[in-house]
Amino acid sequence: MHELSLVQGIINAVGVTASEKGGRVLSVKIGVGELAQFDIRLVRGLLNDLKKGTSLEGARMIVESEKSKVKCLSCGRVWNFQELAGPISSDEREIMHFLPELLNSCSRCPNCSKSYFEIEEGRSVRIIEVVLDV
Amino acid sequence: MSEFEAGLDFRRGMIDRRLAHTKRVLLVMSGKGGVGKSVVSAALAGIASTLGLKAGLMDADIYGPSSALLFGAKGLPVEGESGLIPPILGGVKVMSVDLFASGRPIPLAGSGANEILLELLALTDWGNLDCLVVDMPPATGDIMLTLTSLRNDVEAVVVTMPDRLSTSVAHRVLELLKGGGVTTVGVLGNMVRGSAKGKEAGPRKLAEEFRVPLLGLVPFDRSVSNAVEKGNIEALLRTRFARTLRKSMSAYLRA
Repeated sequence: MHELSLVQGIINAVGVTASEKGGRVLSVKIGVGELAQFDIRLVRGLLNDLKKGTSLEGARMIVESEKSKVKCLSCGRVWNFQELAGPISSDEREIMHFLPELLNSCSRCPNCSKSYFEIEEGRSVRIIEVVLDV
Repeated sequence: MSEFEAGLDFRRGMIDRRLAHTKRVLLVMSGKGGVGKSVVSAALAGIASTLGLKAGLMDADIYGPSSALLFGAKGLPVEGESGLIPPILGGVKVMSVDLFASGRPIPLAGSGANEILLELLALTDWGNLDCLVVDMPPATGDIMLTLTSLRNDVEAVVVTMPDRLSTSVAHRVLELLKGGGVTTVGVLGNMVRGSAKGKEAGPRKLAEEFRVPLLGLVPFDRSVSNAVEKGNIEALLRTRFARTLRKSMSAYLRA
């Protein structure tokens, strides 16, 4: 349930930023990357629960899922998690749930089989945008 | 109305909160691999615990983690409501990427290693600690830069073997630390073979040049490898290596 910690971290960070800028938070857009395999409904629910009683209480929370984009730095092939879903075991999925970068420990480029690749998009939960009324 | 692309890494604030109840963050550095940082880090955390301190060990050597092995820690950390609960072994809270990777290779390009470090620091619920020992990776890249700017009271011990290869790299690290907002606790000579006489020249010269204490000269001790094989911190703490380290570092740890 580390989703709870991450969502609390988002609420705190946005609250601090709004306080520093002296503005009211109108909306927050959150991306939920597919590599961490979070339940997007859970993230949405946590955001709406945890914003209560904070400076984000009246803010609109927009939660979007984000596809992964992984690029091989050896052959240039770009792929996503879905293409690799078959060979990844449930144990490997579990460790990626905590540390998405461990995709590198669990798979290889589908084209050249090298381990030399980088996650460009869709790793975990992130703040895409905050809109303030200042 | 003002709209802005946040670019806001909320993990930084999480890390600040996680470490708010940690009195001291001690980086064990050398710049170079193979000088015994991981064993020194594990032993320091273990010694701190035997001194009655609440100790943690963060394995920041993401590519080549060994803290879990040194403590015999296995399996995923427990997920609590407030984050990941590090396993406690020999009284030390231990966190390492290897609790997740479980011996798998960890080939990471670009910012991957630093991302893992930030994620672990953001998620780990250390609770209250007197001392968090950080086993640093070799090199002076992103991880070192992240950890040396973790907070403004970070301290560092620079470990070096007496030879010129080790001291030359330790020199670069000390140069980086100097004026970089990190308090250098001192230089620790490690794996000193035979009589310390004459072998202390390299570490002592470094300490004198940078005007930091020479914390001690820890002997090369064959029994360390046996203790490491056992994956048991108590066995490591019984070695001559650990007893010497304890004499060198107890006053600092207690302060």
